Amino acid sequence: MQEFLQYLISGLALGALYALVALGFVVIYRASQVFNFAHGELLTFGAVLMVWLNSPPQVGELGLGSVSVDGLGLPWGVALFLSMLVTGAVAAAIERFALRPLVGRPIFVAIIITLFIGFILRTFVMLIWGNDAMPILTPWDSMGSFELAGAMLDYNSLAAIAAAAVLFVSFGLMIRFTRLGILMRAISSDQETSLALGIPVGRILGLTWFIAGAFAAVSGIFLGVRDYSVDLNLGFVALRAFPAVIVGGLDSALGAVIAALILGVLEVLTAGYVNAELGAFGKNFHMVLPYVVMIFFLVFKPYGLFGTKKVERL
Amino acid sequence: MPTRALVTSYADDLKLFPDMWHRVGLVVFILLGLSFPLLANDYWLSIANNALIAVVAAVGMMILTGFAGQVSMGHAAFLALGAYTAAIAGGTFGLPFWLCLPLAGLVAAVIGLMVGPFALRLEGLYLAIVTIGLLFLVEHLLRNGLEVVFGKDYLSVPMHTWFSAGGDELGSFRQPWSFAGMTLSPDQKLYLLFGVLALGTAYLGKNIARSNAGRAMMAVRDRDLAAAVLGVNPAQTKFVAFGISSFLAGVAGAMYAFAHPVLTLEPFNIKMSIEYIAMVVLGGVGTIFGAVWGALVYTVFQPLAEMLGSVLPFPQSFSSEQQAILLFFPLLCFFLMFEPLGLLGIWLRIKRYFLAWPFRY
Repeated sequence: MQEFLQYLISGLALGALYALVALGFVVIYRASQVFNFAHGELLTFGAVLMVWLNSPPQVGELGLGSVSVDGLGLPWGVALFLSMLVTGAVAAAIERFALRPLVGRPIFVAIIITLFIGFILRTFVMLIWGNDAMPILTPWDSMGSFELAGAMLDYNSLAAIAAAAVLFVSFGLMIRFTRLGILMRAISSDQETSLALGIPVGRILGLTWFIAGAFAAVSGIFLGVRDYSVDLNLGFVALRAFPAVIVGGLDSALGAVIAALILGVLEVLTAGYVNAELGAFGKNFHMVLPYVVMIFFLVFKPYGLFGTKKVERL
Repeated sequence: MPTRALVTSYADDLKLFPDMWHRVGLVVFILLGLSFPLLANDYWLSIANNALIAVVAAVGMMILTGFAGQVSMGHAAFLALGAYTAAIAGGTFGLPFWLCLPLAGLVAAVIGLMVGPFALRLEGLYLAIVTIGLLFLVEHLLRNGLEVVFGKDYLSVPMHTWFSAGGDELGSFRQPWSFAGMTLSPDQKLYLLFGVLALGTAYLGKNIARSNAGRAMMAVRDRDLAAAVLGVNPAQTKFVAFGISSFLAGVAGAMYAFAHPVLTLEPFNIKMSIEYIAMVVLGGVGTIFGAVWGALVYTVFQPLAEMLGSVLPFPQSFSSEQQAILLFFPLLCFFLMFEPLGLLGIWLRIKRYFLAWPFRY
């Protein structure tokens, strides 16, 4: 039972991070019908930037396999904020300079260009910061945990859940009650009508991408915290958040969050209980489980839990 | 006399060679291809072999993505399936190469057709994501399956035999072959073999493009509902596109296995899938010309970038691959933004300029 509770919390933490990643996809998809394949590299970029901003200058060797990072040594909160800001700006720049010129061209082209940009971004990160794993620091004791009903709950998981919850609530409130939120909803429902009503569609799209980029930075940072270090493969987690997006329904933010939480818990439970049962094929089976779930959904319920069914019109 | 063949009938539109110059171009191209192994050193020969493998897989990608409009990110999975099928068939069961090749294609095609039902229900984005899932699933199954059967997830490919296990000079790809006073090294023999395969694939692709099947695919790509109204069966068309595309990817995988003595799962990742999309985009979406040139230019570019690297102001720490990405992918983005037809578009523009000369248009 204690073991189960521990897995549950760990799964919820993973699910919350998947949800943050998935939210980044959904926000952009709803605004511009583009699936941003560069999102994973934005995660890496945000996390690596955070490490660089936060690490004190010239720290020594930090444990096994880590390299010292010659960073700026900014306070943790400031570094987090700056990392969100810069990653958001990068995302907005991608929208402005790569995707804006493609308006009116097939969506397929826009998707492919995000793939290529992700590739370029990854190479840039590799060039500037190298491809070694870098230790990520936290203001709380990153190894620490406390006991609840016999289960050990670690601070890192709780912090991830808390951060994700704060972002979801503030995003939900923003989209529902603020002027910007209303404009964003207007654009996602009909761009041409929005233009006709005098909404600066381009600027709002840029802001949407900015928000998605900031989310990417936060999810990247907390994913890094989960593993105690940041390396270039962090972005591949975004590939594992795809199933959450599909299972939740491609255009539903709430659906993506719920599906991500479910998939996160399922993944950790599978790693804990099922992998060992599968014999030779169980090794890392939990890594592909979300895809299996996704394929089942696509066969039986292609528009996901909450997605809108597409209607064909001539 | 018109400067170019006028299209006056339906039959003109279906011609393989619209005018004499296309024939001349092909002959020149083949002659250049034949003389290449005599001029190039081993390094460039191995790059050319990789380029020819890429041509076969890129034609497959073009049929699926360029003709039928189905964006697949799982092309690497089919290559992996083909490569391992060939390696196991050749290594464990001792089948000769000419049998391994279609067998690898068939295995990949069967798996590809199993994805077909998803492709019928899904479009665009959904399909791209499902095929990513497929790539990871195939990798997981291959890795663990190989661990179970062979106790390792890499295989050595000892199948350097052509028709039989007997190592005569022509049949073996490990020994040079003396013929009419010339000696062909193993790499040169491989190049000629791959050249024939690549040319055959391009011919197959061209025939699909100009025949009923290809036009049905393009109709489905452009507007599947309208195509259905006109009597094209979109489901069947997508099915066929998936089958052919994965067959060619499987064949390319077998060629890859044949060219690399030790086969690992590492290269068959999502990066490879993206690279095939890049080749298709670079060459120009929707034509076989684009697939062939995209694959050739893309593969040859990386060693070129390596050579350029010493001229360009890059820090020493950049690897050649990183230089290639930094030079190449921004270029690809520009292609997407400003020259959707890719290399074909540039070629057409040059041709049009000289056709209209001395007038501007």
